Amino acid sequence: MDTLTFIVSLLYQYADTIAILVLSAIGLFIIFGMMGVINMAHGEMMMIGAYITSFSYYAGIPTPIAVIFGGLGAGVVGIVLERVIVRRFYGQLLASLVATWGISLILSQGALLVLGPLIKSVPTPFGSAGSDDLTFSYYRLFLFGVAILLIAGVWALFKVTRFGLRARATMQDPGSARALGVDVRQVYALTFGLGAALAGLAGGLFALTSTIGPFYGQNYTPQAFITVVVGGGAELISGLLLSVLSLGAIKTIVTNQVNILLGQVAMLVFALILIRLMPSGISDWVERRRLQSRRG
Amino acid sequence: MIRTNALLDRLLGRINGPLEPGRSPPFWLLVVAAVVVLALLPTFLSRYELLNFSNFLSNVFLALGLCLIWGFGGILSLGQSAFLGLGGYAYGIVGINLIEIHGNTWLALLAGLGFPVIVAAALGWMMFYARLKGVYVAILMLVVTLLIETFLNQTAGQGWFIGNAHLGGNNGLGRFSGVIREPPSLTLGFGAETMVVFKGKTQAFYYLVLGLGVLCYLGLRAFVNSRIGHVLVAIREDPDRTEALGYDVRALQLSVFCLSALLASMSGILYVSWGNFITPNVFGVFYNILPVIWVAVAGRKSLTATIVGTVFLVWLSQKLAIQGDIAFVVLGFILLAGMMLLPEGVVTGLGERIGRVFDRLGIGRHGARHGR
Amino acid sequence: MGAEPLIATRGLSKRFGGVQAVSEADLSLGAGQLRCIIGPNGAGKSTLFKLLLGSLRPDIGTIHFDGRDVTRLEAHRRAHLGIGVKFQNFAVYAELTVRHNLFLPLSHQHRGRAVEREIDDLLARLNLAGTAEKIAGSLAHGQKQWLAIGMALAMKPKLLLLDEPTAGMGPEETEATVRLIRTVNAEGVAAIVVEHDMAFVRQLGAPVTVLHYGRVFAEGTLAEIERHEEVRRIYLGATKLERPPRFKNRQT
Repeated sequence: MDTLTFIVSLLYQYADTIAILVLSAIGLFIIFGMMGVINMAHGEMMMIGAYITSFSYYAGIPTPIAVIFGGLGAGVVGIVLERVIVRRFYGQLLASLVATWGISLILSQGALLVLGPLIKSVPTPFGSAGSDDLTFSYYRLFLFGVAILLIAGVWALFKVTRFGLRARATMQDPGSARALGVDVRQVYALTFGLGAALAGLAGGLFALTSTIGPFYGQNYTPQAFITVVVGGGAELISGLLLSVLSLGAIKTIVTNQVNILLGQVAMLVFALILIRLMPSGISDWVERRRLQSRRG
Repeated sequence: MIRTNALLDRLLGRINGPLEPGRSPPFWLLVVAAVVVLALLPTFLSRYELLNFSNFLSNVFLALGLCLIWGFGGILSLGQSAFLGLGGYAYGIVGINLIEIHGNTWLALLAGLGFPVIVAAALGWMMFYARLKGVYVAILMLVVTLLIETFLNQTAGQGWFIGNAHLGGNNGLGRFSGVIREPPSLTLGFGAETMVVFKGKTQAFYYLVLGLGVLCYLGLRAFVNSRIGHVLVAIREDPDRTEALGYDVRALQLSVFCLSALLASMSGILYVSWGNFITPNVFGVFYNILPVIWVAVAGRKSLTATIVGTVFLVWLSQKLAIQGDIAFVVLGFILLAGMMLLPEGVVTGLGERIGRVFDRLGIGRHGARHGR
Repeated sequence: MGAEPLIATRGLSKRFGGVQAVSEADLSLGAGQLRCIIGPNGAGKSTLFKLLLGSLRPDIGTIHFDGRDVTRLEAHRRAHLGIGVKFQNFAVYAELTVRHNLFLPLSHQHRGRAVEREIDDLLARLNLAGTAEKIAGSLAHGQKQWLAIGMALAMKPKLLLLDEPTAGMGPEETEATVRLIRTVNAEGVAAIVVEHDMAFVRQLGAPVTVLHYGRVFAEGTLAEIERHEEVRRIYLGATKLERPPRFKNRQT
């Protein structure tokens, strides 16, 4: 294939990889950035979103609404879980990890038990286009658009709205926020719900491109985890962006040159290197470098 | 009262100490009684039951490794079973290749123990010297193990041979793949006369596991009650404080991480010796969450509790597995309930209650209290 | 006093994200000397403390201790070179016994029965005799601070770094702490004390370094500092440099 086609194809793959990383990780990022909790049941939130999307679709609900239902449903489940279980473990990072892993086990195995190993998948909308050398799916491009919209939306939510203000105050210093009249527990609950809802939304969106089963979400959790670990918890948006862009680049290049599995492996190895060099995450490192160069 | 001579005193002095609960004479009586019962078990169990029980027991090393690194070291690793898998695969691959040439599995054993430790050293070096926060260490280990699983699952093709060992994709090493060579059981001895084959259904295997288990238990007790053990616990409580007191925290964390990998690999090698197969499943989420469940529910800060709880929970899972897929859901609930209601562990809690009863009955605790 | 200071920092700077915590700090202390570091909240005292002990690395600048460049040296090696540390929060291992707490620093030099003797000795000197088996967290607040100082002393350091040794203490305990530090100092141990409690600073009578926005703002005796217009202003107009009462009873 000629150079132009190759570049376009590579860019398309890059956009696709970024979209998947962003969508998989953004919910986890928010929960981790706010409460320092790694929600091991993140994959199951995605699974719930996918399941609700599928059931809604086959109940006759138009696809976009079905996906949104998936997100909302997962959000509700998230809020319930936070209320009943997760909030007992704030401040105990490792315990919250284990507890949410327990939830993950119950939800995924429970889904297997009750609903069986596979549920009906939903057809991919929009179709595809292209020539012999290069095919692309409009839906995957759509996902890229959604990813960008989500980043912008989350940024706006945290920067502009009152909830965002309260949330940022709580992230900085829960004690002070409480003293200033912020209902910190409510912020935590809503944040967890938001993170779960975003995971459910991603699950619903991805459900239109793959088969759906009880362990559906677990395909996405490793890369979501890596993205969060590399990004760090400090600066929400810049951390997510820098992490996704760098990890996505490696994955795309290696996948393109070799195969998809080695792409994953390369991404992990790269992540390990990044972590070794920048243990607090990318955003912190960049900040420090920038300010150091200024003082000459 | 029990009379002890000087040697026994010194021995008890090493393995009794403030960091592992359970030191009194009644406690040790119970332990000895339990070991005796376990030693006599083969005469009462059927072949099939013995086969199963050997398998239960061989999980103990995996659990002890996690207990060491998490309960005593404060480092949660969600990928302990990866070392079990690496140990099993390394042993199996070398075993398949060398069993006919050497007639024994000494080198395979070495490989099975050494390879996971090398991997642990590399990973640990990267994580601990980057001063990675505990949460990140946990996640990273999980991601690594899942990646190994994914990698091994796609090794089904004809090209994936290491010497004579076919990696087998998701069928793993073993007869399933239709290839004749399966990983051999542990075949150890010195010369043709003393060679013993530790096949899973034999009494020899059972006694091997039991013997190793007792040795590890005593050895680890001595370890945690030693100076290193005291420093390890201090690192768990406050790494910065410990560093300011002159201890190379990263080096110690790395060492204990490698030790826990070694223990996990023992379980892996025994597993392969027991069943002559191993699949990439052992790298998956379930096999990695199992030791976490056992240790968290039993009581991660105690070696004794870990052993007791692990054997019980493994037995329970088997009973449940017969009912169908419900086993994991139940285990998940047990884990959650344990974390929420009895964070110090069920066995630890029970043990304390029993200890208090003994106290009230005046049965001596005063002897070995300051056993350090 | 020799010409060579025991510890000297030059141009020490450390930044966290958008905040310049310590900025071009030059500090030096001779062997056997005492120094108090004071400053309003957020002045960079804790960061400077961590840079000296080694749990943080500076962005720019150097630290020399006992003739060596220790800027990049790990904290555990600094401990063996002779820097003893008492932290502000979590000064002791609250979940471990007093014996275990002291065992850690003492077991570098001693083994077996000798450690037990050293522990008992040290406890007696700290007025904590008989508490060896207690869980450190159950000690009275003042006792915890002394235990922490004892742990810092256990490795026979040349320099003690103390972060708020009298936090939460009443006047008698504060006095006792001053005496403890003076006794130790008389044996030749230098000490840098980060403190908020002006009563303590006054009683100790050592020279004072004032930090403000991460910079060394002023140095001198307490009397000179108290008369210094600028210093009075940076403490928000408080005339006697007393902290607002709210912080007096901060728990460690």
